[in-house]
Amino acid sequence: MSFNKAKEYIEEGDTVILYLGPNNMHSIDVVHKIMNKKGELTDNVFQTIYGALKVPSLVGEKYGAKVQLSRGWAYVLQPTSELWTVTLPHRTQIIYTPDISLITYLLELVPGSIVVETGTGSGSLSHSLIRIIQPLGHLYTFDFHEQRASLACAEFEKHGLSDFVTVQHRDVCADGFGEKLNNKADAIFLDLPHPWLTIDHAVKTLKNSGGKLCSFSPCIEQVQRTCEKLTATGFVDLKTYECLEKELSVQYKSLPVLDLECLKHKRISEEAIDKVEKNEEDRRKYEKILTVTHSSSLPGHTGFITIATLPPVFARIIKTS
Amino acid sequence: MSAADTLRQDIIAVGSYVIVQRQKYRKLYKLPAENGGGNMLALGKERVEMSAIIGKPFWTTFKMIPTNSNKKLTNGKSYRLEEVHAAESLDDLKDLLPSGMDNRKITDDGTSQKLSTQEIMELREAGKSGREIVGSLIENSQTFSAKTKYSQEKYLRKKERKYFLYLTIHKPTIHLLQEIYFQQDHVKIGSLRMDSLAQILSYCDVKSDGLYLLYDSGSQGLAAASLLTRIGAKTSGRLVYLHPGNMAQTTLIRAMNFSNEQINRLSTVNIYSLMRMYYQDAMESKESFGSRDASGDSSKLVDPDSPEAQIQCNDSPNLLKRKHSDATVSSMVPKKKPKWLSETQSAVDLLKSCKVEGLAILAAKEHPLNIVKGLLPFLGTSRPFVIFHAYREPLQEVYVMLKQRCDVMNIRLLSNFLRSYQVLDDRTHPDILMNDVGGYLLVGYLVN
Ligand SMILES: C[S@@+](CC[C@H](N)C(=O)[O-])C[C@H]1O[C@@H](n2cnc3c(N)ncnc32)[C@H](O)[C@@H]1O
Repeated sequence: MSFNKAKEYIEEGDTVILYLGPNNMHSIDVVHKIMNKKGELTDNVFQTIYGALKVPSLVGEKYGAKVQLSRGWAYVLQPTSELWTVTLPHRTQIIYTPDISLITYLLELVPGSIVVETGTGSGSLSHSLIRIIQPLGHLYTFDFHEQRASLACAEFEKHGLSDFVTVQHRDVCADGFGEKLNNKADAIFLDLPHPWLTIDHAVKTLKNSGGKLCSFSPCIEQVQRTCEKLTATGFVDLKTYECLEKELSVQYKSLPVLDLECLKHKRISEEAIDKVEKNEEDRRKYEKILTVTHSSSLPGHTGFITIATLPPVFARIIKTS
Repeated sequence: MSAADTLRQDIIAVGSYVIVQRQKYRKLYKLPAENGGGNMLALGKERVEMSAIIGKPFWTTFKMIPTNSNKKLTNGKSYRLEEVHAAESLDDLKDLLPSGMDNRKITDDGTSQKLSTQEIMELREAGKSGREIVGSLIENSQTFSAKTKYSQEKYLRKKERKYFLYLTIHKPTIHLLQEIYFQQDHVKIGSLRMDSLAQILSYCDVKSDGLYLLYDSGSQGLAAASLLTRIGAKTSGRLVYLHPGNMAQTTLIRAMNFSNEQINRLSTVNIYSLMRMYYQDAMESKESFGSRDASGDSSKLVDPDSPEAQIQCNDSPNLLKRKHSDATVSSMVPKKKPKWLSETQSAVDLLKSCKVEGLAILAAKEHPLNIVKGLLPFLGTSRPFVIFHAYREPLQEVYVMLKQRCDVMNIRLLSNFLRSYQVLDDRTHPDILMNDVGGYLLVGYLVN
């Protein structure tokens, strides 16, 4: 129940983020008993590289507190959508924060927006969508994979988000978004292999006063076909973007400084010899700089983000060619 | 939101801001508070009387009708607007004419167009529609039919831009405003590219019910407007927007036409006033009375190297002026607290009553280090902060400072690569131009 509003203390039933290091974060449920692999209920003990954590002991701790492990310590954080995205259980490929940020920005979501999303997948994007539109808006999310739909549904429930989201098990390419949603949505988001097959349904589902449609596709052919279909059905202002986030690692570096000046003059006196020795020292001089290093391996491609606007009915123009 | 509300929001009202679009060109325009004279939009050399748009729904398209066709064109033309169902399009023209396979036969010696400039002018003056003019241009072009379909299309687009006199009116949104201002002069909005702005909103974990703290000195109010939009209408969230000058930049906040209900949950406060009042609790209003309302002209930042900046860092932006006005004030009958003072007071009260749920710092020119140090204490534990800067080096220094504290974690320095694409049949490729001024973000969480 720890996703819907900021809270100070950990309560039983919360999902919390255990932070051991930038590349070592886990989301854990604060419950007394969990199911082990054999299907038996056991005490909820979480194993980390710094030793074990008795999860129920977290109840009553402040969010942001440092907790003792048998061989070290960790921080417990309240999950944000960003932390959830990097710790969630993967059931599919997921969308990450840089793309999620651009998608939600381009869809112009605000509290109160009605959003349709498909496919739900692992719910990475869904959590961010819900964060923005709650408490007055609603997310309708669809996946044709029954288990993914039901796991996502259970997850939203556990996170205290079920008032703001409806999960439906459905093939949207074949069956659309349903009569009930006709002229209801402010925004539609597509992350599917065949987004262009849903566009006719999307036109029905978006409000008569118009709305936004965003499609996320890894392949340019998908973009091409989707854009063609969008233009043919009255969407305007089509834009396609690609956004990659680079992390820079801040570091001090010491650079040796060479003294070449002293080589221009002949050594003559004792004094000069002293000086030379000093120069030798100088030659070993280092200059300390603060700079960044770039990663040698980073995501080079995630997906293309296409955004399109459907004008209100009176201003829609369907080009026939 | 009720149906009536939605309806009202979608109608162009006097006194509101609108976005005027002419083909690819967009501009922000403020309608005067009362309909009448002086409702003139300047579009380059042309002037458009805008009264006709009032009461019409957003997305309405208007035709620009010349009102002084007898005057010389070079003086700049005036137009009035007439509602139309849709702008005429040239798209079908290209399908009417044959086209060539490639450009082997085309030599551009400047003689392919048989119509003279004078003749084209006359067509325009005669009030011919853009479509008619372009039609004649094509008829009189010796090379048009030899051009490939693609270059015919390019040609039509170019002519469309020149001869088409249609405007569409849009409702301002963060996305549109950012685009317009960024294209015009990105420095004016602190080089805040849309992907960075989008990430600020995410990493700051903006929700409808929280209290958020923003420091911004150079985005024309874009950052504050974006956060307030995310906080939403008819919600309980609040935003404290700190700025370093005499007046906050608010252009883009105003451009969003926020309702009173929403704008009242934004407190715009000078950072010096806030910090002084927060820490020097018992401060009498008298002390700073007049310190800011005395001047109140510029919102520009003081160059950090100038002597003026020294004064600013020491204490108040208007040390000298204050001394002066203190005397005036005390000799006067006590008057109503100035607005900035009560606004500062309520922001201080807010920040004393609870910790903020997210902190965003956008330092346009100044070094962010002290601002970060100054504002982090207002942030709740387990809550995120985002610092944006156009330069990397100051953020590196902030990074080092934060690493030395033991109450900040998961600190990351980020920068984005953003690229847009042309998507067309068989001609999809990245756009020829891209923009490399995305700036840098430093993000992290505060812990115990
Ligand atoms: C890549 S995943 C979505 C990931 C999600 N955006 C996230 O961030 O977690 C794509 C999902 O779309 C679903 N899907 C594919 N085709 C579908 C269809 N026609 N109707 C409904 N769901 C579909 C798949 O089952 C899969 O779960």
